[in-house]
Amino acid sequence: MAGAWETVIGLETHVQLRTLSKMFCGCSTAFGAPPNTNVCPVCLGLPGALPVPNEQALKLAVRAALGVGCTVHPRSVFARKNYFYPDLPKGYQISQFEQPLATNGSLSYLSPDRGIATATIQRLHVEEDAGKSLHDRFPKQTAIDLNRCGVPLIEIVTGPDFRSPHEARSYLLTLKQVLEYAGISDCDMEKGSLRVDANVSVRRAGETALGTKTEVKNINSFAYVEKALTVERDRQIAVLEGGGTVAPQTMLYDSKTNSVRPQRSKEESHDYRYFPDPDLPPLVLTEEFIAEQQTLLPELPAKKRERFVEKYALSVTDAAVLTADRAVADYYEAVVHAGAEPKTAANWVMTEVLADAKDHGDGLRVPPGALANLIGLVRGGTVSHQAAKRVFAEVAERGGEPRNVAEALGVMQVGDAGVLARWVSEVLAAHPAEVTRYKTGETKLVQFFLGQVMKASRGKADPKLAQRVLEEKLAS
Amino acid sequence: MSDPSEALASAKAAADRIVKVKRLNACLTPIKELRKSLVAQASVAHPSGVLYGMPVAVKDNICTLEFTTSCGSKILEGYRSPYEATAVAKLKAAGALIAGKTNCDEFGMGSSTEHSAYGRSLHPFDKTRVPGGSSGGSAALVAAGAVPAALGSETGGSVRQPASLCGVVGIKPTYGRVSRSGLVAFGSSLDQIGVLGRSVHDAARVLSVISGRDPRDSTCEERDSLRLPTVPESLQGFVIGVPKEYFPQDLDPAVRRASDRAIRLLRELGAAVREVSLPHTPYAVATYYIIAPAEASSNLARYDGARYGPRFNGSEDVRALYRTTRGEGFGPEVRRRVLVGTYVLSSGYYDAYYRKAQQMRALIAQDFRNVFDRGVDLLFTPTTPTPAFKAGEKLNDPVAMYLSDIFTVTANLAGLPAISLPIGRIKGLPIGGQLIGQAFLEDEMLEAAYALERAVPAGEEA
Amino acid sequence: MSVTHDEVRRIARLAELDVSDDALPLLAEQMSRILEYVAQINAVPASEAVKPFVPGPDAVRFRPDEVKPWPLAFGPAELAPAFRDGFFLVPKLGQFEDAGA
Repeated sequence: MAGAWETVIGLETHVQLRTLSKMFCGCSTAFGAPPNTNVCPVCLGLPGALPVPNEQALKLAVRAALGVGCTVHPRSVFARKNYFYPDLPKGYQISQFEQPLATNGSLSYLSPDRGIATATIQRLHVEEDAGKSLHDRFPKQTAIDLNRCGVPLIEIVTGPDFRSPHEARSYLLTLKQVLEYAGISDCDMEKGSLRVDANVSVRRAGETALGTKTEVKNINSFAYVEKALTVERDRQIAVLEGGGTVAPQTMLYDSKTNSVRPQRSKEESHDYRYFPDPDLPPLVLTEEFIAEQQTLLPELPAKKRERFVEKYALSVTDAAVLTADRAVADYYEAVVHAGAEPKTAANWVMTEVLADAKDHGDGLRVPPGALANLIGLVRGGTVSHQAAKRVFAEVAERGGEPRNVAEALGVMQVGDAGVLARWVSEVLAAHPAEVTRYKTGETKLVQFFLGQVMKASRGKADPKLAQRVLEEKLAS
Repeated sequence: MSDPSEALASAKAAADRIVKVKRLNACLTPIKELRKSLVAQASVAHPSGVLYGMPVAVKDNICTLEFTTSCGSKILEGYRSPYEATAVAKLKAAGALIAGKTNCDEFGMGSSTEHSAYGRSLHPFDKTRVPGGSSGGSAALVAAGAVPAALGSETGGSVRQPASLCGVVGIKPTYGRVSRSGLVAFGSSLDQIGVLGRSVHDAARVLSVISGRDPRDSTCEERDSLRLPTVPESLQGFVIGVPKEYFPQDLDPAVRRASDRAIRLLRELGAAVREVSLPHTPYAVATYYIIAPAEASSNLARYDGARYGPRFNGSEDVRALYRTTRGEGFGPEVRRRVLVGTYVLSSGYYDAYYRKAQQMRALIAQDFRNVFDRGVDLLFTPTTPTPAFKAGEKLNDPVAMYLSDIFTVTANLAGLPAISLPIGRIKGLPIGGQLIGQAFLEDEMLEAAYALERAVPAGEEA
Repeated sequence: MSVTHDEVRRIARLAELDVSDDALPLLAEQMSRILEYVAQINAVPASEAVKPFVPGPDAVRFRPDEVKPWPLAFGPAELAPAFRDGFFLVPKLGQFEDAGA
């Protein structure tokens, strides 16, 4: 059914900027404070209070704009977006409208259907966050907490670029990654530091005109992004296939029932009556200001991924896993820099290191140098791969030098030719019948002999070397 | 004044004088609270401050920690601000005593103080007439001799116009000279705190104290406080322009006489006087009455009964709370302006009204620049088209009321400093003349004002 | 440039302001009068158009990113007409769902 239809999705993302204080006042932005304790005349909207913009917020906004390839405009204007809502104390939000901070950017992401796709970033502007309304805390009342009111935000608006809910999600994850890399925000959808609203429409495959779009809100996690958009797309298709028309309205996603419902409102669509905020002179940024943010942009994920593929001869998928998180990427490079073979290091980081980080929630516990050493021990045959995992776990938990830990655990393998030869001789001598059978063609028996050698050495023999010595001896 | 006993005496005397004129309904602070506060303030005031012990009344739309800030409105009845305006803090740091809050048109919207929710204020010389507005209470108190100076605010002439009608001095500073932090916003790009005083000297002294940089106001310029000039011997070297658009054919002949007399005196003082033109003047009131209501409609959106102030009904849901609070809390003039402002910003009308008005504003500002660029230092005009009018006279037609701002709004639109001082009497009622200066050159303007004040027979019929 | 009763109602809704039915006619009349008066600015031809003039500084000044809260003489609890457990209280949103733009 979905095959005859094309889905068109655009995303509006609001991202909280990592500043200490709010956008227009010196209140703290710290999450989790008791309600209405990080407030002042400005963010409470008290009579007579005036906004004064936060320099760091502008710096991060510019950096973010550069990170998604936008043109940063040296002159932009703050504008008031006027509407009434309990968590908006001034009755308007200070935002930007006709002259935003940045426009015309793009961000490449991996589409499951189209390979590398590019989202157009129409605009990126700065604004302030609203407070929080809690509708279920007290009966018949709405409780308002204005701690969040005034926290700096950037709004990032794409064109109608995505052709599937999966693409939309992929773009979002890529955007999150870029913003995290650049230190702009922690992009946590559960904490609300990243929020997304989507515009969704469908059209018959092949049509160029856009269908009527709806806005989908209340999507609270990356997983729900895909679910919500799928549900809305299917709803629109069902409406159109049933001969109806899609009404331009706002739909709210309900994650509990995985459904969307129209936001009931008797109001006509908002007329925000934007006008330049007379309390704030124009935002004028010098070339130096913008250039500084360009230098503060780190190597972004896509570039890093490409470099990993080239420099370390990794597959695109492996490179993607390693560069998903900037800290992990830096860690990986440190391990390689400490002497580990890149491909082996990649495997170790992708498996043991990431699993450990996930299970214990304590970050990357094994120092890069230690991991490099451990990898060396395995490659040199001193420790088997299995045993090395035990050593890794031990170093992660209690620290220590891998070699010492391996010794203490008693897992140092013997690769000494002489010692191996002795064990091999003992085993062969103990099983003459099997030796004969082997020499008459049952070469599979080498595994049996190997098992015996491992037994005789109490697991300490390096199995690969032992097998070689066995084969040599049996051949003679 | 240099010691607490003098400050205390000053405090008590001020309270006594204010009580004596309570019939004017100029001071909104209950007398017991006022007296108690003045005495307490006197004991902690800074003795080394340049205004030590001076009682200064403050318009009700300026936030103070002492007394309520109700902006002449029901919607903020009983509201106590948890912070004070920067201008008020500066007054206190200079040792001044905050002598109560004065009546005003609601949120500064009006030209007669008849639009206050707390009753109109009376003209000190004729109780059937208005003291002007919106800073009518401040002007009346100063004119009645109760306080030497008072803070007011201007958006379209609300300090100068009442000064003219009451026969006192009113100064509007350059936009950005005085911090707006704590001034309850009406038209943000036009608002400034101004000063009313018995004399140019008193008003200027207070203006000097309250002016200067403030990190809390992004529209306040990074400048030192205003420098006070000395009284000049003559006005030799000054070029004073007289814009013909302020002397229309139908100007009240008595106002014309008073102005002509003042102009003659300026010449006698040595100034060169020449006729100039500010061609876009006829559109100024229209421009003002688009921009100011537009900004006001947004600035007043925060008054909804949710977080502060009284509530009016509204138990059903929050929209009902907003609508009844604002419907009942705002008076008719505020309601008109909020609705007009909302209209001119709304989709479909923004370009024709608001954007056009901003362009007109630029042309009006340009008119002034052109004149000043051609060697003119100051402009002289009448302040108001008439002396104080009768209460109720202009209430039926809002536009009739707006036209009383005809000579004052241009300075607000162009952000320029201006001062009104009494230049005569018309059938016993005061009338003012104004000097408009160049941006941030208040000192030149004040020099000329000092000289004119000394020369003009302000108590004489025109 | 007449403003109809319906338009006044619509504008009043946008401005969240109750206007009673008896107040409506006079209000519409007065608003029409005002809007007619101010419409005269359209007399100036578009060719004369100039960049908007706004007084004040040419560029906004920034504030350093420091936690320096503005001290209040008293807190939200004393300001609020309705306050509980640290929250401002308003009657619940009725037929209008969580809109937050």
